[in-house]
Amino acid sequence: MRIGTLKQSYTADAALFDSRTQKVWLVVGAALLVLFPFIASDYWLYLACLVAINVASATGLNILTGYTGLVSLGQAAFMGLGAYTVAIMQTRLGTPFLFNIAAGGIVAMLGGLVVGIPSLRVKGLYLAIATIAASFIAHFLFANLKLTGGTSGLSLPPAQFFGLPLDTSFRLYWVIVPVMLLMVLGAANLFRTRVGRAFIAIRDRDISAEVLGIPLLRYKLLSFGLSSFYAGVAGGLWAYFFRVVTPESFPLLMSIFFLAAIIVGGMGTILGGIFGAVFMTMVPELLKLVVDLLPGGVEMTVFLSPVRTVVFGLLIVGFLVFEPHGLAEVWRRIRRFFHLWPFRN
Amino acid sequence: MDWAYLFEIALTGIAGGGIYALAALAFVLVYKATRVVNIAIGEMLMAGAYLFFTFAASFSLPIWLAALGSVIGTGLLGAVIERTVIRPLLGEPPISVFMVTVGLASILVGLVEIIWTADQRRLPEFLPNAPVMIGDAFLAPKIAYGASIAVVLIGMVLLLFRFWRGGVALRATASDQAAAYSMGINVPRVFSLAWVASAMIAAVAGVIVGAIGGISSSMGVFGLSVLVVVIVGGLDSVLGALVGGLFIGLVEALAGAYLGGEYKLLATFIVLVLVLMVRPYGLFGTHEIERL
Amino acid sequence: MPKTPKLSHHRRALLIAAGLAVTAVPFANAQGNEDIVIGGSIPMTGVFAFAGVGINAGIADYVKIVNDAGGIKGRKLRYVPEDTGYKVDVSVAAFKKITSQNKVNLYYGDSTGFSKTINPELERNGQILMAGASFATELNDSAKYPNQFLVGPDYTEQIGILLRHIAKEKPGAKVAFVYSDSEFGRDPIEASEAAAKKLGLTVPVKLMTPPGSVDVSTEVIKLRRAAPDYTIFHGYILAPIPEFVQQGKQMGMTSKWMGTFWTMDSSTVMKMGEGADGFMGVMPYRYYYDTSAKAPMLDKIRALRPEYQSTAYTQGFLTAMLFTEAARRTLDAGKPLDGKNLKASLNTIKDFDTGGLIGMPITVKGNSIPVGRVYKADMKAQKMVPASDWISLN
Repeated sequence: MRIGTLKQSYTADAALFDSRTQKVWLVVGAALLVLFPFIASDYWLYLACLVAINVASATGLNILTGYTGLVSLGQAAFMGLGAYTVAIMQTRLGTPFLFNIAAGGIVAMLGGLVVGIPSLRVKGLYLAIATIAASFIAHFLFANLKLTGGTSGLSLPPAQFFGLPLDTSFRLYWVIVPVMLLMVLGAANLFRTRVGRAFIAIRDRDISAEVLGIPLLRYKLLSFGLSSFYAGVAGGLWAYFFRVVTPESFPLLMSIFFLAAIIVGGMGTILGGIFGAVFMTMVPELLKLVVDLLPGGVEMTVFLSPVRTVVFGLLIVGFLVFEPHGLAEVWRRIRRFFHLWPFRN
Repeated sequence: MDWAYLFEIALTGIAGGGIYALAALAFVLVYKATRVVNIAIGEMLMAGAYLFFTFAASFSLPIWLAALGSVIGTGLLGAVIERTVIRPLLGEPPISVFMVTVGLASILVGLVEIIWTADQRRLPEFLPNAPVMIGDAFLAPKIAYGASIAVVLIGMVLLLFRFWRGGVALRATASDQAAAYSMGINVPRVFSLAWVASAMIAAVAGVIVGAIGGISSSMGVFGLSVLVVVIVGGLDSVLGALVGGLFIGLVEALAGAYLGGEYKLLATFIVLVLVLMVRPYGLFGTHEIERL
Repeated sequence: MPKTPKLSHHRRALLIAAGLAVTAVPFANAQGNEDIVIGGSIPMTGVFAFAGVGINAGIADYVKIVNDAGGIKGRKLRYVPEDTGYKVDVSVAAFKKITSQNKVNLYYGDSTGFSKTINPELERNGQILMAGASFATELNDSAKYPNQFLVGPDYTEQIGILLRHIAKEKPGAKVAFVYSDSEFGRDPIEASEAAAKKLGLTVPVKLMTPPGSVDVSTEVIKLRRAAPDYTIFHGYILAPIPEFVQQGKQMGMTSKWMGTFWTMDSSTVMKMGEGADGFMGVMPYRYYYDTSAKAPMLDKIRALRPEYQSTAYTQGFLTAMLFTEAARRTLDAGKPLDGKNLKASLNTIKDFDTGGLIGMPITVKGNSIPVGRVYKADMKAQKMVPASDWISLN
């Protein structure tokens, strides 16, 4: 039971992980992450990589929507920008993969800045719809430019690490997961700084924030830029993972998926982004398991896809109605239980 | 400059826009009364079309009965949705309600796929077949009749809003809930009414859209074009829905005719962005004043 | 202190249980077996569901026929399908799952997107020969897609068959293309336009419709102005073809209407209504109810399945047949079952009798089987009747 956490300096107070138990769990977690690829099958490695990419992108969206309050349905389009940049650079220039991914992030960031420009004039839902428009314009560009290969898209050779091709989930795991961890850590740190606090102020009441001296346009654009950078990097990782990028790879539905992920996980918390992405990616797998266990055999699988759609919708509606603060809140309650044990409240 | 061609294209575009206007009306009704952006409007449209299909094709009821059944059924659906999903979120930030309708859309699509499978189907023919001629210009009959029904319905709603008690109550609730309460208006009942009316209108729109293009579980994507229409017209303006619908229909037709089919959606979204930059509340929408 | 409501305990328990269930799933155990495994990413739900259900039944039925006859050199076939809802990422996930749990040598893919995405993985894996529901022209390239093949003509070849028929019926005719704005739709258009010109036909207009578009009246107006003699639709299953046909007829167009493989299933065409009487298209297989010639395999199918089976069923059935034949020839030559050997065996298939499912003996030279026949819709009889002979583009 936690009795008191005494801090003796400001740095200690602002630390991300302050108790010994947290640090111990962190080490255990890191050890598990390192051990995982050696014991998991190819299929679980594939899932793990996918989850990591989704976590990175969801964290980016969380910065924009959860912390700054700007609803965006363009996350998939920014991922597409990053993915296409990586694909074009890898096929035409052959530059090293980390460079390509960074470039993908930067191109996506530029896109995000452009999309963020209307954010001073339009707010709330109008902004959300403007991001839908941006997403369609991006899709149009992807499908009709010669550079992006039109509707057939681009396929790219695997990333090369000093001559070693990164073409299996096992090898890519060692790139994707560390990058994801860096990004999540970066986001967590962001909200200890002035910029992060400005974002939160904008979310709570942007007019008041402006009165307090926070230049709105600059910080809103910064938020858009950062979140789309995250999306671009996630998109670049996606491109190396799937190795084919087509305009259909980043539909509006994917943006909705990410928005649902942060809602289910808990908007405005880093943990929420992680939980949400993991949960939403694993739910279809869980469903498949349940359907496999039910009697009825192949006839049951016919219902799998629509049931998955219904469950997706039910999750969003359910969490919004019953637990608007998401899985992160549930986690916080579990933690509180353990902190206060053996007391109840 | 081929004026006859331009006239033909413009005519069919405006007529098609009439159907957009109808769906936009359903959307505006809900927004006006409850300030909820109903992304699931396309899916409610789809529900109406599928109910009509079930009554008309599977149960072989006469067309007018099937239409009535579809309208009532979808109205009931609207009431259920309002009670179970929208009412609990009454005080929540608009993003939450928006996302709830997104989730709702998914649920409706999934349910339709489970009950009717995702196959594309066609509705039984019930609109007259002879092409409508205006001068030398052809107008496809389905579109012409669909647009006429839409315009008549919109006119009716405009009149109801002005003269019927329920319509006035709706407008009152829309402009100031607290004042409406103190005037003795049963605000929760008005909310239900708005959703039921919106659902019924969506059903009519769905039947028309289904008659034109067939029905499928991905019909709801029609809702995206409707979204553009309401933003352009103004989220809470019935007149805006009409004007916006006709305008967007025209833009789409012209873009499709002179630029190519792939530019249709692009053109409408560019118009959307332009309108958002110049008049963020739409052509006829009320300017929202944010107070600290 | 607020009391935590009872509901949250249940919710928490549910979440913990769900989490445990996920982590408790056993990690993979590949089953090394004597069975020859056919894996499948099958679109049994979603927009392609009618095809997916048929394909699934077709493969399963043929596997049963082979196994009942003793298998291939004593080894049984095992069919392991997964539903994908016609989504590429779900398809890829299914592929990874099936290949990590079984030793797979033959695979059926559900879409063009999937076939292209999985190609590098196929090459790395090297053990699998793949076919699928896609007839994309791009896949018909033995150099770029050495481990894949198409169970019929590719889309350009399909339209080529239609164009040949047109050139014979009405030389110098005007042919319009109406296609959907998707990879599926755009695939054959450029090459087909060139092929049309080579046959002396003109292409007055090419119309692209946005996916999911409801109102095609502007396109119909453009089509009417071009006044084509024939209009070929591609990239659709059903919608918006009936609208085009209906509005076109209402506006006095005299064009004949044609479609490609996925539109041409009998049940789909019959849904088009009376106005589509005479709708033509290319179909590489015989329809279920075809009794015009001796077709022992078709009789067998009719005995197994008394109700109408779609052409998607035939496609799945034929795929399994060609898979079996490739595996049999590889084993007969004493070679191990891997991608290269299976493909090489497939390419030795010359003048092969499909038991009447395809109207002439087939040769699989490269990646496709460029054979087909033009059929016409007879709405009164509710059947598709042949409008040409079997055409081979070889």
